[in-house]
Amino acid sequence: MTKELHRKIWVKRPGASPTLVQIRENDLMDGVREMILKKYANSLGRYFDAPDITLRIVARDDPSLEQTLGPDEEICRTLDTYYPGGQTVDEALIIDVPHRRTPRQSPRPTQIVYYDDQSRPFEHGGDYFPPMPPNVPSPAAITSTSHESRHSRDLSLSQTHSNHSHSHSLGHSSFDQTRSMTVLSTGQVPPLPSPGGTRRSHLTRPGRPANVRQPTASPTALANPHRSSRPHDSGDLAPAPAIISTPPTEHPPTAAQPTSRPTTPRVSSPRPKGRRRMRLRPDGTNSAATTPAPMSLSIPTIETSVPPINVLIVEDNHINLKLLEQFIRRLKVRWASAQNGREAVNKWRTGGFHLVLMDIQLPIMSGLEATKEIRRLERVNGIGVLANSTPTPGEEKSEGDKLVDRSLFKSPVIIVALTASNLQSDRHEALAAGCNDFLTKPVNFVWLERKVKEWGCMQALIDFDGWRKWKDFSQNDEGAEKKKEEK
Amino acid sequence: MFRREQSEPGSVASLPTDVIDISTFEQILGMDDSDEDRDFSKGLVYSFFSQAESTFQEMDENFENKDILKLSSLGHFLKGSSAALGLTKLKDSCEKIQNLGTRRDETGMREEPDMDVSLKKLLQTIRDAKNQFGEAERALKRFFGDVSSQEK
Repeated sequence: MTKELHRKIWVKRPGASPTLVQIRENDLMDGVREMILKKYANSLGRYFDAPDITLRIVARDDPSLEQTLGPDEEICRTLDTYYPGGQTVDEALIIDVPHRRTPRQSPRPTQIVYYDDQSRPFEHGGDYFPPMPPNVPSPAAITSTSHESRHSRDLSLSQTHSNHSHSHSLGHSSFDQTRSMTVLSTGQVPPLPSPGGTRRSHLTRPGRPANVRQPTASPTALANPHRSSRPHDSGDLAPAPAIISTPPTEHPPTAAQPTSRPTTPRVSSPRPKGRRRMRLRPDGTNSAATTPAPMSLSIPTIETSVPPINVLIVEDNHINLKLLEQFIRRLKVRWASAQNGREAVNKWRTGGFHLVLMDIQLPIMSGLEATKEIRRLERVNGIGVLANSTPTPGEEKSEGDKLVDRSLFKSPVIIVALTASNLQSDRHEALAAGCNDFLTKPVNFVWLERKVKEWGCMQALIDFDGWRKWKDFSQNDEGAEKKKEEK
Repeated sequence: MFRREQSEPGSVASLPTDVIDISTFEQILGMDDSDEDRDFSKGLVYSFFSQAESTFQEMDENFENKDILKLSSLGHFLKGSSAALGLTKLKDSCEKIQNLGTRRDETGMREEPDMDVSLKKLLQTIRDAKNQFGEAERALKRFFGDVSSQEK
């Protein structure tokens, strides 16, 4: 097959941006449909077969004159007839699909291209189910001009632009909640699916009683009604909250230009530098320009600032500790630190922590042991919604296990493991020990900030009273500052 | 987006990309209050220098005593902070030290029955790590405008 025989044609979905599809010179329309399905592997390929789709061609000089191409038409000849001199981008063929069928997803779709997977930091790209909420769109996935993402976004019917950020932020918590509920109810993270299992299916796999697992179903389920039918697209590809809008992408990342984008495996995460000042300002002043007009609801508060959580940093290396402390300090979040596992457990026992950033290899007591100990204490003290109904046999609460002030433990603490290891087994172990999540060092601050926000939001939902107090407090704070300015 | 001046000392572009992962390092610079005031990042980097020096010293002592398990944990320790600063090469060497110290090969995948092989590899890897650290230290000192180090 020689190269000359290939040709690229413009196609687009109605109202969406055109894309090029490579075909062979003598392809019939029928073959083109196959290529289109490959190109739109996510939004179309998963739900439609090639014969389902039709292509429309619009006459160059009379846009009202359009014709549906038959399956046996020679595409190139037709194009040449319609568009002498070549098809331009504006003349893209329009792809039509039948009215949406109920998407029935096979348990193990084989031809799914997870674009956002590739752009995620590699620690999440493991071949087993990811510990992080998978509906976090990677910032890069949004900036990238992936046609798939754009088109699938078009497919999610209800999401108008104005409510994007809203439902998005809720969407996060929904997922977090599901996962954490598993932790709440069992004191364990759910068993890891076998390697190669679909990444997100534990939330949406047909027949899995996802809602049963979250009796305290958050309003999020309602906020995004299409999630159930289009599990991957609506949440995954919705734009991120405006504050994490990425720098413009006119400069494609090249290795020779270290200043344009990171050149590490985490290439696609946004370069922190460009917007670091903005991002690290929790009062949201700098992000105002990019945020849609603030809604009167209280939700945006969550988006623009970090919830009122209390973070415990556990690190034995003082360089890393200093770095994390500075990071947390700039988020204006309360924090404390511990240098080994034993100290971490003791600090946790004083209560009030929402999130633990736990280094795994620690002297005296390792991060994993500390995590197990914390989970055990949570179980025997009945922390967590369903903990009382599922007493673990053989686990008795001894006097020493009693927590001093039980009211300070509203819910199981979120433990995010930090590890410099790339070994899958270490991650496995971390999850098995009861960590909710993990990050690989060097920690990408963009991701860490997001994790702090996500997990923090979830905790804030659980500890709603505390959140209210914090909100009032921070508002008063703002008021006070304004007064100062006026003076 | 603002444009950075090219390759001036003190600009990130002047850093050797094979020694320092720029994006990780920029994260640290991002923790500073401003580009002029690099108190935090400079302080952090300089305390890393002394941490690395003392760790290498400990490594030497433990190598003498053939306490390779201790070498492993020292390797792990330095791996954490060098990773945090984006010193990729040094981090890799530290990981090798960590693995070799547990009587396995550099990758940690295979057992290494021969103690002499382990020791020999450790010696070489520690030497590599020191060189990589020296390289990184020079580049970083130059970056922070520490001119006296340039003759070093």
